[in-house]
Amino acid sequence: MIDSILLVDDENLFHLVFEDACSLLDITLNLQSMTSADRAADLFKVWQKKPKGKPDCVFVDLNIIGSSFNGIELTRKINYEYGNGVVIGIISSSADNEEMGKAINAGAQFWIVKSDDIEPRLEEFKKDYAGYSNRSNEFKVYK
Amino acid sequence: MKISFCKKDIDQLIKLSEEKNIFLEGNIVKVIETDSEIFKDYILKAKEKDDTARKKRLEITRQVQDQNKLLEKKAKEKENLMDDLKLALSDAEGAKEAAINDLDLIQKKSQFELMGQIIRVALWVIMSVGVLTSVLYIVALYTRGSGPDTTLIGNTWSNLLGILLTNSFSIVGTIMGVKYANDKKEE
Repeated sequence: MIDSILLVDDENLFHLVFEDACSLLDITLNLQSMTSADRAADLFKVWQKKPKGKPDCVFVDLNIIGSSFNGIELTRKINYEYGNGVVIGIISSSADNEEMGKAINAGAQFWIVKSDDIEPRLEEFKKDYAGYSNRSNEFKVYK
Repeated sequence: MKISFCKKDIDQLIKLSEEKNIFLEGNIVKVIETDSEIFKDYILKAKEKDDTARKKRLEITRQVQDQNKLLEKKAKEKENLMDDLKLALSDAEGAKEAAINDLDLIQKKSQFELMGQIIRVALWVIMSVGVLTSVLYIVALYTRGSGPDTTLIGNTWSNLLGILLTNSFSIVGTIMGVKYANDKKEE
């Protein structure tokens, strides 16, 4: 089980889906959800100095409407500006190869394609999590 | 991290579940530790209830998501339809304007053709009457010399020519007037 997860997604309904799926699959007991990439970046800035409450794993939506930057930019910021060892990846309904390339460059470790049936993908991710945590897994797309 | 309850709390929780069917909910159920078999059953039931509720919620959330997607799709279709309608309306207005212009052109053309015909016929009539009376006058001059009949025909000829000339100018003037009035109306 992952100690703590942060989900950054502008779609509130998906927060409910993700929370229920995480609970049913015993993925985590500590899930934080937010709708703004700016808020997430601010929190990581704080966690850089005081790591208490920092999540172990971050799921970022590709297009976060209403934020100053998109999911790839947030991933890049978390990895290269404020990051120190969090597992981070993109969760999006898109499966665009060009965007995936950008995500890899930004330091994303995985890409989960958001669809009606997300549980099998999350279950597979749960199995692979240890590899992401110790940085031995390569970038993987769950679709 | 695990938590445990004292005997009194466990009894109260079990009593509440038996009497009111109220159980602990959420992730807290997953971190409770106990040696009591009865409380283990309670936790199992609580987990099952929680899972059932979450599955139900997940299902409903998905339905709402699907409906939202459908609504978005319909809204986009409606928007496209509105764009098409606006385009069709604009085309129809253009076609209407072109048809009105064509009709106007046809009307003017037929008016000019009619005027041309009237002028042609009028000129032919004028010329024919002029030629006819002139021939009559010449014949009278040659056959009767300068008698009273010839004088009468000469007077008639000159009167007739005068009238024909006046009439022909009147026709041309009327036609020019109508044309001028039409041009003014267009402006």
